[in-house]
Amino acid sequence: MARILAVDDSASMRGMVAFTLRGAGHEVTEAENGQLALDAARGSVFDLVLADVNMPVMDGIAMVRALRTQDAYKGVPILMLTTESHTEKKMEGKAAGATGWLVKPFDPEQLLATVKRVLG
Amino acid sequence: MSTVDLSQFHKTFFEESLEGLDAMEAALLALDSGQTEPELVHTIFRAAHSIKGGAATFGFADVAAFTHVAESLLEEVRSERRGVDEKLIDLLLHAVDCLRAMLARSRRGQPVADADSEALRAELVRLVGGEAAPPAPAAAPNAASVAGWDIRFTALPHLLQSGNDPLRLFRELQQLGRLEVLRAVVVDAAPAQLAELDPSQCFLGWELRLHGAVARADIDAVFDWLDGDCELAIEPVADVTPAALVAAPPLPVAPLVAAPAPKVDPGPRRIRASAAASADGGSIRVSVDKVDALINMMGELVITQSMLSDIGEHFDQSQLERLREGLVQLERNTRELQESVMRIRMLPIASVFNRFPRLVRDLEHKLGKQVRLELHGEHTELDKTVLEKIGDPLVHLVRNAIDHGLETPTQRRAAGKPETGTLRLEAYHEGGNIVVQISDDGAGLNHAAITAKAVQCGLIRPEQELDDAEVAALIFQPGFSTAAQATDLSGRGVGMDVVRRNVRDLGGSIGVRSQSGKGSVFTIALPLTLAIIDGLVTAVGEERYIVPLISIVESLRLRPDMVRKIAGGGEVFHFRDAYLPIMRLHRAFGCAGAVTDIERGIVVVLEEEGRRVGLLVDDLLGQQQAVVKSLEAHYQRVEGISGATILSDGAVALIVDVGGVVRLGQQRSEAA
Amino acid sequence: MGGTRTAKKPGAEPPAGAPSPAPASADATMLVRLPADCRLAAQAALKAQLQEVLQPGGIVLDVAQLERIDTAALQLLLLFRRELERQGGTLGWCGENAVLREAASLLGLEQLLNLPAATLA
Repeated sequence: MARILAVDDSASMRGMVAFTLRGAGHEVTEAENGQLALDAARGSVFDLVLADVNMPVMDGIAMVRALRTQDAYKGVPILMLTTESHTEKKMEGKAAGATGWLVKPFDPEQLLATVKRVLG
Repeated sequence: MSTVDLSQFHKTFFEESLEGLDAMEAALLALDSGQTEPELVHTIFRAAHSIKGGAATFGFADVAAFTHVAESLLEEVRSERRGVDEKLIDLLLHAVDCLRAMLARSRRGQPVADADSEALRAELVRLVGGEAAPPAPAAAPNAASVAGWDIRFTALPHLLQSGNDPLRLFRELQQLGRLEVLRAVVVDAAPAQLAELDPSQCFLGWELRLHGAVARADIDAVFDWLDGDCELAIEPVADVTPAALVAAPPLPVAPLVAAPAPKVDPGPRRIRASAAASADGGSIRVSVDKVDALINMMGELVITQSMLSDIGEHFDQSQLERLREGLVQLERNTRELQESVMRIRMLPIASVFNRFPRLVRDLEHKLGKQVRLELHGEHTELDKTVLEKIGDPLVHLVRNAIDHGLETPTQRRAAGKPETGTLRLEAYHEGGNIVVQISDDGAGLNHAAITAKAVQCGLIRPEQELDDAEVAALIFQPGFSTAAQATDLSGRGVGMDVVRRNVRDLGGSIGVRSQSGKGSVFTIALPLTLAIIDGLVTAVGEERYIVPLISIVESLRLRPDMVRKIAGGGEVFHFRDAYLPIMRLHRAFGCAGAVTDIERGIVVVLEEEGRRVGLLVDDLLGQQQAVVKSLEAHYQRVEGISGATILSDGAVALIVDVGGVVRLGQQRSEAA
Repeated sequence: MGGTRTAKKPGAEPPAGAPSPAPASADATMLVRLPADCRLAAQAALKAQLQEVLQPGGIVLDVAQLERIDTAALQLLLLFRRELERQGGTLGWCGENAVLREAASLLGLEQLLNLPAATLA
């Protein structure tokens, strides 16, 4: 099972994501914003990063950009949790180095399907 | 896979959404006051965005729909396609109110949208130029399917750098049908020398054939993250042999894409009201510092404990000194631990103060007044219970100050004052108390109106001359209100007497100083905590009474010549140029065996809101901290008693309610 | 484009069933052991290692330990082979590895990598 970093400033969303993934047997680390995620990522390499876009302190786009400068994170899949109204955010995320996205709102089944899709 | 019960996240969602709305409101008010930091707009946008995302995720469709429109409007502001003006801020503040109400109804499981929210939503929709497109339903799978697809896929060099991998794509395609690689090539752009290769750049291309009746949309979905990362051409297979058709039956494929498929069941989601209610028992956020302090304290306590048990094990007289030291240390540890534990319940008053910018703004508009609000000491901490209950009295005082205290710009100009009035809220420590002051530079209490009203109510005689302090005291009388016309702000039948009662219920006191034409200052003194008081233990007959230290002015033994008996049985004594009524505690509470001879007992002078009374007790036994137990909860409310506590010898002692005792004393001396 | 679909050469067949890597033998065949994780993060080191052994002789890649691989790794090996052959060397494989086989097969790169035809064992 994979080691996953879940980044979202919303405690309820983060809780839902972490709970669902743990239920599927994954090991989940939670972070409240991009900066804290970077701190967590510095300590160990995750198999997958799931990150909200809009966050205080450091948003998801800046976080992806920073992660991709680290050798250890060159090929690690990073998915943005984004909303349908922000197509340009998807593109901005991609330009920063995001692998793909999961459109909010999503339910636990959609989350698991997408994670499975990325992790193979 | 087990389905996840989303209702477990509802409480968190409501809490963070309400916090988000608070932040949104504060940022809107900051914008309104002329601040222009872009971070303000980001904060507002982020709050709306999070609420929308959460609401949609957790099944609060009405909240999500409402926030969606508000967010569209905010997006226009964020991208500077729309300017910020007062009208927009009004509208968004209204939206904040509306969302608070909607969340409250969601929480209670009631219908969420109402006339107000629908009207506001319609207005927001009109502003953003028509209904924002709802999320497009996932493209319906292509009905017309084919025997297979030819896919030409050439990676652009940066494809791998986004964490995408053709291996993963091919695996996904394989789930759709049999995948055949017709050709794999290294593109010409590939470096000739290994030395020049950046392994994270991709120089591969493929010609693929996907056999089977696969929907085009399913293939598109596999490549949906790769827009701009590859060259892609997908065409139906031109010449398919029947054999290929037979060889590749379409595989049943699990839906792979997390497209926002519209939910089939839009019915109201059941909310477990009972679970939500019981979960509401109240949590508290504690900073890590406070918890660390507690753990440190615990550590020291453990050391002391082991030291004492060590002494106890091989005890002889020679160790008496060490034992004494150990006990002193234990006392210090216990006190520090108690303080740390109490501090956990302490929260900054900012959470209450933060309501006021919005309230003041609304009142300014409503009353046509100009007010500058100053907040000081927001970080002052108060017990959580006190904090929760002090909000309403403060709101009332702020309303009063703006409604009755501050004048209109015209009046102010005429009085030679700046048109904008100042309202100042301040919190600070003073002794063992927290003091909250609400001051304004308005007209001050209306001496004439208050006197007239008091005469009308029969509180004073028409010819009575009152000084400022006496006038101020009148406004706290039950049922007293001078509002010339019952405005919808202050004239709701809630008078200053209710404010005073609320403050007193918290163990606090309230007073007012006012100067005609200069303004008024309301001062509320609150205890740091409701749970523990510093008290003076007194003996009355067989009983022990605890008098809160904070109310004690002095204790003294009276000489016979200091006491005067007055007609009707009352007694007063001379104290610092005044005569104070004497309250015999044994008489008030019917204690047997008490000292009845005033000269042999001790009189404790108590003060409450400027009024003093002498309390007669037998003797003073010492100071002690008392953990207050509610008498009401265990027995019933008793006039003059605020609670009970258990003394170190296990006996129960009652705690004197100074306010109540002073009132009793006053009534007696007035009746006399 | 490409034109790299060269005729299959028998190459330097590894000694069948050799369980442990042989030391560099007399006729300058060198054995390079691929690490367990060959994915992107490890490829800078792998590339340096491969560059060092570029020589006219035979190179045998030991894949016994290989556990994780990605497209970039196969591409690196592919370009290594291309340059190796240009310099007159040959690429051979030591050991059968399911992960490598599955990835190369899915991407259609078995021939370009000179992987021996899958033994139907």
